[in-house]
Amino acid sequence: MNGDIALRADGLGKRYGSKWALRDCTLEIPLGSVTALVGPNGAGKTTLLQLAVGLSTPTQGEIRVLGGSPRHDASGILPRVGFVAQEHPLYRGLTVDETLKLGRKLNPSWDDGVARERIERLALPGTQKVGKLSGGQQAQVALTLALAKRPELLLLDEPVASLDPLARREFLQSVMEVVAETGTTVVLSSHIVADLERACDHLVILNQAQTQLIGPIDEILASHRLLTGPRTDPATVARVHDVVRESHTERQTTLLVRANGHVYDSCWQLHEVDLEEVVLAYLGQRSITTRSFERRREAVTA
Amino acid sequence: MIEFHLDAHSGVPTYLQLVQQVRQAVRLGILRPGDQLPTVKEVVGSLAINPNTVLKAYRELDRERLVEGRRGVGTFVASAPPAPPPDGIKELRTALQRWIERARTAGLEDESIAALVADTLRPPVVSRVA
Amino acid sequence: MTWAAWRLQRTETLIAAAILALLVVILVPTGIEMANAFHHDGLSACLGQVTSGSCDEAVHSFTDRFHRVGGLVDWFTLVPGLLGVLLAAPFVLDLEHGTYRLAWTQSITRRRWLAGKLGLAVACALAAAFSLILLVTWWRAPLVRIDGRMDNGVFDSEGIVVLGYTLFGLGLGAAVGAVWRRAVPALIVGFVGYLVSRIFVDVWLRQRLLSPLKATWKFDAPSPSGLRHAWVLQEGPSDRFGHFVQPKVGACVRAAKGGARLLDPGCLSHKAGFSMHAVYHPASRFWALQGIETAIFGAVAVGLIGFAAWWTHERTG
Repeated sequence: MNGDIALRADGLGKRYGSKWALRDCTLEIPLGSVTALVGPNGAGKTTLLQLAVGLSTPTQGEIRVLGGSPRHDASGILPRVGFVAQEHPLYRGLTVDETLKLGRKLNPSWDDGVARERIERLALPGTQKVGKLSGGQQAQVALTLALAKRPELLLLDEPVASLDPLARREFLQSVMEVVAETGTTVVLSSHIVADLERACDHLVILNQAQTQLIGPIDEILASHRLLTGPRTDPATVARVHDVVRESHTERQTTLLVRANGHVYDSCWQLHEVDLEEVVLAYLGQRSITTRSFERRREAVTA
Repeated sequence: MIEFHLDAHSGVPTYLQLVQQVRQAVRLGILRPGDQLPTVKEVVGSLAINPNTVLKAYRELDRERLVEGRRGVGTFVASAPPAPPPDGIKELRTALQRWIERARTAGLEDESIAALVADTLRPPVVSRVA
Repeated sequence: MTWAAWRLQRTETLIAAAILALLVVILVPTGIEMANAFHHDGLSACLGQVTSGSCDEAVHSFTDRFHRVGGLVDWFTLVPGLLGVLLAAPFVLDLEHGTYRLAWTQSITRRRWLAGKLGLAVACALAAAFSLILLVTWWRAPLVRIDGRMDNGVFDSEGIVVLGYTLFGLGLGAAVGAVWRRAVPALIVGFVGYLVSRIFVDVWLRQRLLSPLKATWKFDAPSPSGLRHAWVLQEGPSDRFGHFVQPKVGACVRAAKGGARLLDPGCLSHKAGFSMHAVYHPASRFWALQGIETAIFGAVAVGLIGFAAWWTHERTG
């Protein structure tokens, strides 16, 4: 029924009071993908993830996770979705062992072997109170809680934001190991792009409550180019290609474009871009328009 | 056993870096025929990269006959030496040298030439679909 | 779920138990002493006889001896509110610290979680209240034999009202906490709300729950038996018809030995036509008033707890 889509949003919107935290969000996240959800603070990443896990309800539109509604089919969907909220909330007064016991009591699909094995491998002290652990250790405990129920979909809201670089790396290593082993679909939000480029194969850029770019990362990197050349009006380029960002000095023009075919004009030097540059270019735009690879494909073949 | 490392800013795609490191290791004797390569899970667990990247690298190495995958067991360095480079290489190299001369005469800088080659090697997706 | 709810309420439950233990330590020694003195001094035998006045001296010395502890026990009327508000803490802290985002994304629905947490808090509140009732009722038994249990300070720790008070404290703490989401200020506000409501009921509402009875009797006659151990709202000199008057008693003052001035009751009654009038709730109404007041506090408590659950369920996220 849901085909090979783990998460589908359709015109999804959420308003708090008079302020829209997310609007007109339409996207599909394929099963088995590792999706980076990037955007500045307040862009709507947490809102989207909370809608996906049933912590809030849409004001507009619809969201379907693993084929069901997170709020209305909660008892069917929740056991299949692992979630780590921002700042990885945990009960600080509980020990690590008691936290795992909490997971075991509240999750019918809990695999205690997985939980125990992780805790031992990470050398987390079972009888230590969670409040006394370091930030990295707490994040790992929270991740263990999400992983031990063997979810089909893992949603992580800025899981490494407050961690030091080593803890960050270890956390991402853990996540990727699980993906390698079980093919779990992962959606990982962050405002630090560098970590995500190596781990993720899909990208969703959110800015000011709207989606800006959605698609597979290798296609995004293959189709975006940085053009540098003598100072000129980008109009000619813009007729054929999609200019995402332009900047000019007295003598030089730099354009980041999404190319529609080859760039033949020899006055331009072409450079490949990395994910961080693409994201920064989109986030720096003044007017927000959504670009989605799925939609563009449809437009071309139509 | 080989340990991979990743240079995130080298501009070389991740899977290609893995391929190059395996080739280098075989050349230097760090990996010998019959040695097992790290599992996808192990590589991913140490580098925090996407498993598909590792699979892509191992597939490429398998295509070059440098390694062979044994179902359910793992990926191993091939016991037979890799196939020798195809014969046409010499002619291709000469043709390339001539083409580069032409491009330079036309006024292209070396960097433009390299960018042109790179861009032509990986055309944008849309043109493929159209 | 039960284990989870228990474990997350453990600290508060222990504090409540400690408070009750402290009260036991304060009350049990004096309670035993009072009970012994009551029988030893012959008070129980004496009060059993109908003739009033014969016990007065024994009663006086008894109450003198224990009135200080009695005064302390009057303050115990704050304890149900304290216990109720305390047991609301885990619920509010879950919201304040954001840990509900962990609890609601395991595999159980938020409805189950809220029902389990609040349900356990209610159960513990009732258990604590019940223990408190047993303790204080036992302690005060001799004094109740002497003075009855209708007076304000006594009524609200006898019978079953404490159950209503504790649930009310819990409800206030939970309701304020559900909206405010900061435990310390919310629970303080809840407790203050408890105090204000209790004062309002004690001072104004309770006496109006049922229409009080009225009695008029001659000044020098003994007070009617209905007034024994009753809650007297008003009592004083009146005319034959029961209207309160300010008596002019000058004519009935007699000089007595030692320069003291005495009112001659016979003179007052016949010469000036005085009676006594009282507005009261008889002791027989104890359970009726207890029932009504408990029902009021209980119903409000249920409403508050329901509101807290509904608000959290609907308005979070």
